[in-house]
Amino acid sequence: MIKRTLFPFFGKTNFSLPFSTTSKLNIFDRELKRNQRDRAAWLMPQNDPLLHTVADNLLDRLQDCKKIFPSALCLGGSLQAITRSLRGRDSIEKLIVMDASYDMVQRCKNDYHESINNNMETMFLVGDEEFLPIKESSVDLVISCLGLHWTNDLPGAMIQSMLALKPDGLFLAAILGGETLRELRIACTVAQMEREGGISPRVSPLAQVRDAGNLLTRAGFNLPGVDVDEYTVKYGSALELIEHLRAMGETNALSQMNLMLKRDTALATAAIYDSMFASEDGTVPATFQVIYMTGWKEHPSQQKAKRRGSATVSFKDIQTQFGNQTL
Amino acid sequence: MVKVSKEVMQKAATLLSDFLVCPLSKQPLRVCEESNSLISDAIAVSFPIKNGIPCLVPRDGKILEEEDEDASKPDNDANLYAGNEDDKGRSS
Repeated sequence: MIKRTLFPFFGKTNFSLPFSTTSKLNIFDRELKRNQRDRAAWLMPQNDPLLHTVADNLLDRLQDCKKIFPSALCLGGSLQAITRSLRGRDSIEKLIVMDASYDMVQRCKNDYHESINNNMETMFLVGDEEFLPIKESSVDLVISCLGLHWTNDLPGAMIQSMLALKPDGLFLAAILGGETLRELRIACTVAQMEREGGISPRVSPLAQVRDAGNLLTRAGFNLPGVDVDEYTVKYGSALELIEHLRAMGETNALSQMNLMLKRDTALATAAIYDSMFASEDGTVPATFQVIYMTGWKEHPSQQKAKRRGSATVSFKDIQTQFGNQTL
Repeated sequence: MVKVSKEVMQKAATLLSDFLVCPLSKQPLRVCEESNSLISDAIAVSFPIKNGIPCLVPRDGKILEEEDEDASKPDNDANLYAGNEDDKGRSS
């Protein structure tokens, strides 16, 4: 009963709450997430195509900048994919790798010691994005690839990243957006309605695209940029999807989740998923919506809008000059 | 019990002086070589360094009740697990 009343509340993500930087509302169980990521450190394959695509896509944004970033901080999520892709690029000299899961960090460390071309000085650290243990104005770049959507206090985590950056430092993040796993969300709801006569949140609430821009400006970043990519991954069955989520450490970590999942509800979910979404070749698709966010810490050299009323050219003149061509 | 090499400690020290602060108070940390931990004097909490990796998740921290006594004692894995021994001056 309680769960049912909570559900609409969860549907609205709390990212738009006015005072969530100080709120004690815990949507996600961070400790559980940490354990899940410990497990994922052992399960994760060396080359997960989804994580690698997202990591490469995120890091491609670095190529667009003329600026170099001597020191970088890499936060949670797909750490291994990021560190491996970064290794091939020269712009970074010092890298700090941080994750909440010790096993994940240890795995990255082993990976680092095995690799041959260690041109960057890499340091490892276990830490929580919500309590970032980084000195103010100390790094040039903060990268977070698919980790921040598990924070209870996303604005707070972003403000802390902003503070850790040097002036004119870059914040690059990829988070999963609200369209992610919409097929699974639907299948879970239908199966639970059918078998249990009620629903409880099985898939976590995620930020919407429109929130991302607000989050960046609210955290105090300049020149915010947001773009969205949707990836469709095809699986043999819904159970394989769950296996993949587990290997990525992306399984449910809601602090109010229903700990019991009945076997026949789970099987019904898989069957409904299959019947509703399966494509002709027998595979089932799953959508992953990734929101990429870029923001810069304030610096006098950055371009700004001019003061209101400071224009010297009238729009009328512009129209007489170019107006007739476009119309 | 993990013996930490000098090189690792050195590396941790540069990391510490250049980048790390206490996750809760955002105040500087200091290395305690005997107990192989990072200590935040501002709130009297020690964070362990496991295998050369500093663990700065607030939950990993241990509150130091009597700091002087604690800092002078060599720390190892054995007394971390001995939860019943209250004379260690630790609480979780």
